[in-house]
Amino acid sequence: MKLGGPRLAAILGVTLAVAAPMGLLFYQSFLSAPFFDPSARFSFEAYQYILASPDFHRAFASSFAISLCMTIIAVPLGSLLGFLIVRTDIPGRRWLEPWLLVPVFLSPVVLAFGYVVAVGPVGFFSLWAKSLFGTVPWNLYSLAGLIFIAGLTHVPHVFLYVSSALRGVDPTVEEAARVTGAGPWRIAVTVSLPLVRPAILFSGALVFLLGFELFGLPLVLGDPAGLLVLTTYLYKLTNLLGVPSYQLMAVVAISIVAITFPLVYVQRRFMGAAARYAVIGGKGRAFRPLPLGALRWPMTGLVLLWLLIVVVLPLAGVALRSVVRYWGEGVALSEVLTLDHFRELGRYPNLIRGIVNTLLIGSVGGALAVGVYAAVALSAHRAPGIWPSLLDYLVLVPRALPGLVVGLAFFWLFLFFKPLAPLRTTLFSLWIAYAVVWLAYGLKLITATLMQVSPDLEDAARVTGASPGLVYRDVTLPLIRFGLLGSWLLIFMMFVREYSTGVYLLGPGTEVIGSLIVSLWGTGALDLISALSVVEVVIVGLAILIAIRLGVRLDA
Amino acid sequence: MPELVAENIFKRLGGAEILREISLHLDRGEILALLGPSGSGKTTLLRCIAGLERPDAGRIILGGKVIFDAASAHEVPAEKRGFGLVFQSYAIWPHRSVYENAAYGLRLRRTGAAEIKIKVEKILRRLGLDAMAARYPHQLSGGQQQRVALARALAYSPPVLLLDEPLSNLDAKLREEARIWIRELIKETQAAALYVTHDQTEALAIADRILVLDDGLVQQEGTPEEIYARPASRFVAEFMGSNNRLEGKIAETKGSRARLEGEGWSLWGELGASKRRGEKSAGIIRVERIRLAGDGGENRLPMSLKSASYLGERWEYLLVASELQIRVWGDKALPPGDYSVEFPPEALWIF
Repeated sequence: MKLGGPRLAAILGVTLAVAAPMGLLFYQSFLSAPFFDPSARFSFEAYQYILASPDFHRAFASSFAISLCMTIIAVPLGSLLGFLIVRTDIPGRRWLEPWLLVPVFLSPVVLAFGYVVAVGPVGFFSLWAKSLFGTVPWNLYSLAGLIFIAGLTHVPHVFLYVSSALRGVDPTVEEAARVTGAGPWRIAVTVSLPLVRPAILFSGALVFLLGFELFGLPLVLGDPAGLLVLTTYLYKLTNLLGVPSYQLMAVVAISIVAITFPLVYVQRRFMGAAARYAVIGGKGRAFRPLPLGALRWPMTGLVLLWLLIVVVLPLAGVALRSVVRYWGEGVALSEVLTLDHFRELGRYPNLIRGIVNTLLIGSVGGALAVGVYAAVALSAHRAPGIWPSLLDYLVLVPRALPGLVVGLAFFWLFLFFKPLAPLRTTLFSLWIAYAVVWLAYGLKLITATLMQVSPDLEDAARVTGASPGLVYRDVTLPLIRFGLLGSWLLIFMMFVREYSTGVYLLGPGTEVIGSLIVSLWGTGALDLISALSVVEVVIVGLAILIAIRLGVRLDA
Repeated sequence: MPELVAENIFKRLGGAEILREISLHLDRGEILALLGPSGSGKTTLLRCIAGLERPDAGRIILGGKVIFDAASAHEVPAEKRGFGLVFQSYAIWPHRSVYENAAYGLRLRRTGAAEIKIKVEKILRRLGLDAMAARYPHQLSGGQQQRVALARALAYSPPVLLLDEPLSNLDAKLREEARIWIRELIKETQAAALYVTHDQTEALAIADRILVLDDGLVQQEGTPEEIYARPASRFVAEFMGSNNRLEGKIAETKGSRARLEGEGWSLWGELGASKRRGEKSAGIIRVERIRLAGDGGENRLPMSLKSASYLGERWEYLLVASELQIRVWGDKALPPGDYSVEFPPEALWIF
């Protein structure tokens, strides 16, 4: 096969979409003023300023501490959860699994807001606890509180990889340990989990990486305590100085990437190791789950407690807050109930536009993105030469970029290139940033679907007389139809819950629920935030229900 | 003029030489079996001919037209070669009905709707699939799926049919029946066929001619009878049939015959390779050619029967004498004891 037109277009498109924003960030970081300022010249001033700034040092230290501690919390819990769900007779394994993945589809900013109104100093549950104990036994607005919540909400990321790796392990190795006399706990620690060590390492590196990209949680929870992390430091930088200090923002963005990119690379190495281990998998033989025995109910309790903290608490908080007029000590719930906040949404045209835009970018934008991802994946599918591995590396770049940074880079790009300027205030600017942020995820979804098409099916069409284009049209695409639909649903949810990418691109015409919540948080409009959050959770919740109904795997 | 010619096909995959200068020709209407153990390169050769793999060297000519030539970098893509190919996995398209699977090749050839209907219905009827035309692959049994794969490959009347272990996924009973009707079917269509298999019985039953492959090389070429009765090498001798092997040294030679000698035994056999006196050699003899005789005589050895196992259509005896241990077939239960075993010299090949 030759390097045809479509393949060349895919190569150029992906390279451009990834390299242009990245290159602009890099360029801006070496200027003495914003790139559009005629006085801007090449300089290291911005680096000197940022690297000498005590705020930056503190933000870096907090980011590092949070990343490390949340990894320490999430990895053991996620691995244990994976073992319990995949291998043991813990009650309700089937219906429990989708719930375990729900936090992945919830916007962190909504979650954070939920925690504030549920267990913040005057939260619903805090006041309830105070009425019981006389004091609130926890402090949400602290480094410890932030770490605790960040750790618990990232358990699903570990669970996802560990559980899928465990499914590939032949259960007879565990049965052998059992017959030898090992109990379930011993089997987990000495047989099952060591066998999936690459997946555990991989997910550990992932969580550590995600720690540096946290934005919604530290923005909402760290703010009252004056706690800054790298991303919130970047976000606050404009306000700190009072002038658009693009060069400083670029330096902070570059330093985040300087940390995350090596992490992504390390992670990739772990993934290679994981692929080597995967061959243990035997046939899809039905096997009897390991009986937990006396541990059965304590373990169930542990899982439910985790679900309570990570899903029920924040969502209940958001829901409750959206139907009360105000809340505080001594307020009786029955006296303040109202639906006014939802009615109030209608009085703000930008909020209504935000909801419509969110639905549009999720559905239409999601479909377009899946189309683009499918075209790119197909161009590398069974392609000879270096394109598939080149694509692999290109995809690493957006994975290392937090949404906030990608949004910023695209915002600048639309300012920088005059021909693109009119697009800045349209949903297209948001869409392309979203598409780049979720490029790796989307490609993974489509590639996994393509892998299920046996090469023989395509070869059969070729021998029968179909040209490569006809093979895609008549065989490959019809066979991955369902996979594409599933990918669309998942991308829809990711686009709806996205909040950080839109923060810098937020303007009239590009409002979405996520970035509106971030900007409203600065104004303290809790009533509107709670109503918007409920709208977002309902949209994502419906999508999850449809996905489960259609049999789409949420853990793709 | 042969329908298909492959000349000096050389193929390297990840450092390993899969095909080392293999040549073959296929005449019009002929069925040629590529027979070899797994890893012998037979499927790779088939895929090279189909255009799914690209040989590193060699030339392929179909119907007088060069479809591949490594020297001039000329390559007709797989879809323009016009073969019919039956995959080991069948590879029938799960999203198309039986009818649509079979009709696809004709549609690509822009055949008229009426003609497609006639041709597809004819091939489906011939394969006993006419009642299942509207069904989808997942509603079919393994044997039916296999026939759909054949129907799809034959529907557009390709001049050469390529079959890659088409029966290996069927159970034993179906496989035995299929050997017979597949040969009939191919002969009816008058297509030439290249049939890849690792099953010698299948190759013997289906092919007009057999090419035995091993280690990327042609080991022997000939009719089924020639391959079975006159193996040219120790590999072919041992690969075909059920055999006994006797390890020894050449004691003397006389014309085409030689006397093989071991500890406490010596037998005359046919020399299959040039050997000198004192050289280590192996005698190969098909199990069915050994006879139990009542008393001593020429080329016989006294051996003692250790066990007799019942295999259904025959008995298998295990006989031993010092270091020798051989299997012999017979039609009745025999008690343990001493027997005289005859090794006809023309059936004992020395390599």
